[in-house]
Amino acid sequence: MFTEPLDVLLIFTVATPVVGWVAYRKAYRKILGIYVALGLSVTAYFLYELYREVAEKGVVLIVGQLPFNPPLGACLEIDMLSVFMAFLYTISGLFAAVYSIKYMEHDTGLTEYYTLLLGMIAGMTGVAFAGDFFTLFVFWELMCLTSYALVAFRKQRWESIEAGFKYLIMSAAGSATILLAMSFLYGMTGTVNFAALATSLNNATPDGWLYVTLTLIIVGFGIKAAIVPFHTWLPDAHSAAPSPISALLSGVMVQTGAYALIRILILVFGSMQSMWQMTLAIFAVFTMFGGNIMALSQNDLKRLLAFSTIAQMGYIIFGLSMASLSGLTGSLFHIMNHAIMKGLLFLCAGSFIHQAKTRDLRKLRGIRKTMPLTSAFFAIGVIAIIAIPPLNGFWSELMIVMAGIEAEMIPFSALMLANMIFSVVYYIRVLRMILLEKPTAVSKKATEAPAAMLIPTLILAALCIIIGVYPEPFITMASRAAEALLNLQTYIGSML
Amino acid sequence: MIPLVYYLAGAIALYIIGMYCLASKRNMIRLVIGIEILMNAAHLTFIVFSAYRTVGYIDPLGHAIVIMSIVFAGCVTAVALTIVTYAYRHYGTLDVRKLRRLKG
Repeated sequence: MFTEPLDVLLIFTVATPVVGWVAYRKAYRKILGIYVALGLSVTAYFLYELYREVAEKGVVLIVGQLPFNPPLGACLEIDMLSVFMAFLYTISGLFAAVYSIKYMEHDTGLTEYYTLLLGMIAGMTGVAFAGDFFTLFVFWELMCLTSYALVAFRKQRWESIEAGFKYLIMSAAGSATILLAMSFLYGMTGTVNFAALATSLNNATPDGWLYVTLTLIIVGFGIKAAIVPFHTWLPDAHSAAPSPISALLSGVMVQTGAYALIRILILVFGSMQSMWQMTLAIFAVFTMFGGNIMALSQNDLKRLLAFSTIAQMGYIIFGLSMASLSGLTGSLFHIMNHAIMKGLLFLCAGSFIHQAKTRDLRKLRGIRKTMPLTSAFFAIGVIAIIAIPPLNGFWSELMIVMAGIEAEMIPFSALMLANMIFSVVYYIRVLRMILLEKPTAVSKKATEAPAAMLIPTLILAALCIIIGVYPEPFITMASRAAEALLNLQTYIGSML
Repeated sequence: MIPLVYYLAGAIALYIIGMYCLASKRNMIRLVIGIEILMNAAHLTFIVFSAYRTVGYIDPLGHAIVIMSIVFAGCVTAVALTIVTYAYRHYGTLDVRKLRRLKG
């Protein structure tokens, strides 16, 4: 109905409670995690099939069976970019699910947890596949609702309740803003189909209503993409959620906001390109500085990583704001690398929390002595994210800076370089605390993480190195996705 | 027929009221109601535009979107009220200022 990958995800989501009912005893709980990992693996397989189809045809169009053809009826339109994003969601979800088997074993309500996790991935995949604004909104709300519940999952703790409520209020206000922007687009054109919107608005002369709509779109999606005045929910939500969920939120969900933003801006607001480019670039610089400056003074490991996510979003938004092939390639490549690096860092942080029962960096000093493997993987993630050459973060950040120079945005590129140096400062501090300083009482008592938690981090750390040493095929993938995003003729032509 | 502009002005006023409610109110239930007002501003514009597309006819697309969207607004409210319930059990108050242990 919705293409095989999305069908599989939705069916597995709905069927999870049944499996949870079977696995009611504590000894059987592992079945749930394995079941979810199986579901995501099947999804990945079907995504590969879909990828082959998209590579052959360019765009795959899925229309409902009702007698409403697009632009009236709802539809899915899948191009290379959608498949690229969906792959990231599925793979990140797979790592998070496998990691959760051990990490969440002492929690109750695991059935709900896994149902929500699959639902969130289904929502994000649906956002990437959507061919009209309404379908995008439906899946967007699915993603939002599940993530509210996941952030507030450990409901006995005050932190989760506060962070969940704050996140819910801000994000729901963002959703309402998106809906208002959608209604204005509908009022101007009479349709919400992306291709039809693009044909009727791409060459329109900008007027007041179009400016208002553009502002609402940037604000609405900007809340989810953690652009700096709208970022305040992110550090709370990321640090309050269970660690595998933080890895998903930070690695892929924030990027879904960036994806939807750039898809809509390029498709619908082509006539105002110079304007939104400049706006996004300025916001990007604020976002980089905001995230990095706030990260400098953090002593909570997960909050520090969350602020670093904001800074990385600044780099990604800056790459997207160029709307050129090289800028978008760099940005999409960085989205991929960021999902891997931040996933790795949050999962390692989760291992520290699980073993040492604290998130305070001052208490985690010298934990290398007792948790050597996790500390080594954490160090690999940190080295990748501060862009040291042999690892993956270096290539994508370099590509974004070079694309900025190419697009004659040299001051912005210079500011981004300055920010990259900024991020080195606080990450080196973290590395020094974990690797070099003397162990504290807490870190002496910790033991190495169990194998079920080490394996996902090991694979992610290996991916950091593999992509760093051998980036060519991954850059090709990102550049094909960027081409698909810029190729409006194919996207519109296959629909209308 | 009443001109479209009046309805739009009303909808935008609703949106501003909702935002004001989110910015200034301290009761958690009121914040949830603020979200509802924001959603309803958007629903109203959809309904108005669907009525004004062609004179004498109603475009069903806008209505279909609004009916679905009302369901989402209900879901969001349900999740929000669940969190409010937990917050009340934990703190014994609905005042959002008492929930300021997180900073930044």
